Amino acid sequence: MALRLWASSTANALKLSSAASRTHHLPSPFFLSRCFSTVLDGLKYANSHEWVKHEGSVATIGITDHAQDHLGEVVFVDLPEPGGSVKQGGSFGAVESVKATSDVNSPISGEIIEVNASLKETPGLINSSPYEGGWMIKVKPTSPAELDSLLGPKEYTKFCQEEDAAH
Amino acid sequence: MGMRVLRSLEVLKLGVVNYLDALKLQEKLVLDRKSHRIWDTLLSLQHPPTYTVGKRQTVHNLLIPQSELEQIGAELHYTQRGGDITFHGPHQAILYPIISLRDMGIGARSYVEKMELTMIEMAAQYGVKACPGQAGETGVWLGERKIGAIGVRISNGITSHGLAFNIDPDLTYFRHIIPCGIADKEVTSLRRETHSIFPPEEIIQEQLISCFARIFDYDNLIWKEDASVVIDGTE
Repeated sequence: MALRLWASSTANALKLSSAASRTHHLPSPFFLSRCFSTVLDGLKYANSHEWVKHEGSVATIGITDHAQDHLGEVVFVDLPEPGGSVKQGGSFGAVESVKATSDVNSPISGEIIEVNASLKETPGLINSSPYEGGWMIKVKPTSPAELDSLLGPKEYTKFCQEEDAAH
Repeated sequence: MGMRVLRSLEVLKLGVVNYLDALKLQEKLVLDRKSHRIWDTLLSLQHPPTYTVGKRQTVHNLLIPQSELEQIGAELHYTQRGGDITFHGPHQAILYPIISLRDMGIGARSYVEKMELTMIEMAAQYGVKACPGQAGETGVWLGERKIGAIGVRISNGITSHGLAFNIDPDLTYFRHIIPCGIADKEVTSLRRETHSIFPPEEIIQEQLISCFARIFDYDNLIWKEDASVVIDGTE
């Protein structure tokens, strides 16, 4: 599946008319990586900045590029054991960065079938690869209808822009 | 560009508070803030001699046996905040902001940077030029000497725990830990770093609150006197 990139956060601050126009307005790669958080197509998002990828009977969950950027370098990840359960909106773990522990909430309810053991040794995967290597837990969704209540990529991008513009 | 909503901060001056009492109060306030029952709230206080560890439970950085803590008049507490082991005690000004980062539109990194700036501005008022830590050494430093520490918890976008600024605490207590897990660095205080005459400590704490309010851009401060009533009211 081709993944489309949507610019978020600073797109609004730069008054770009649409996310897709970023390629016309950006002068340098440095500017690109500094200002834009990646939002991927094909995922669903919570307004607490977690993403969920639903593939058949398994849903993979992690935190978004916007989230990792706003957290700073992750030095510790606290994850549950497999076999536990999560509730939509409930906390399932935490990440630590810059002397701050931030709770991570599950976008959906389900049974935890796998956790990403690599994050114990390499918590920085959350920063370098928030949607791939930095995945946090895999669950078996108990209420698939909950996915409909989540944000799509466009809505999440807009949400991030509005949140960042608030300060 | 519409009118900016006035940002209010409720300030509770609590005096010296036992660590667990302060923790219980924060937990209640975080829930209240999350359900919009209260505005952003700032606790200003000091603790009796207390060692605390963060979520990573780095109690190996406590250099004396736990059984000896009572002899030196100190307690040890485990917390959910970020950061390593630290010491809190009288004459160390503590701020615990219970604020909504989501409403403010900032994340953990930006929040912690502003907390560092709060203490840097505080020190500057006494002619002391401090700076933020290098990567991985969050806090406020004068060279290799640390004058202010930060350890924060963020839950559903609401903060708890916060910062500790050394006005003139008994620094010998820091000898019993590797502060913040960073060996070979010292801890210092405003008293150590300046010959300035200090006003009463309550004034210094109010200055710290003002620095916080300025850096976090609050328009309106609501001071709660007799805030000890709030502690007694929590179950």
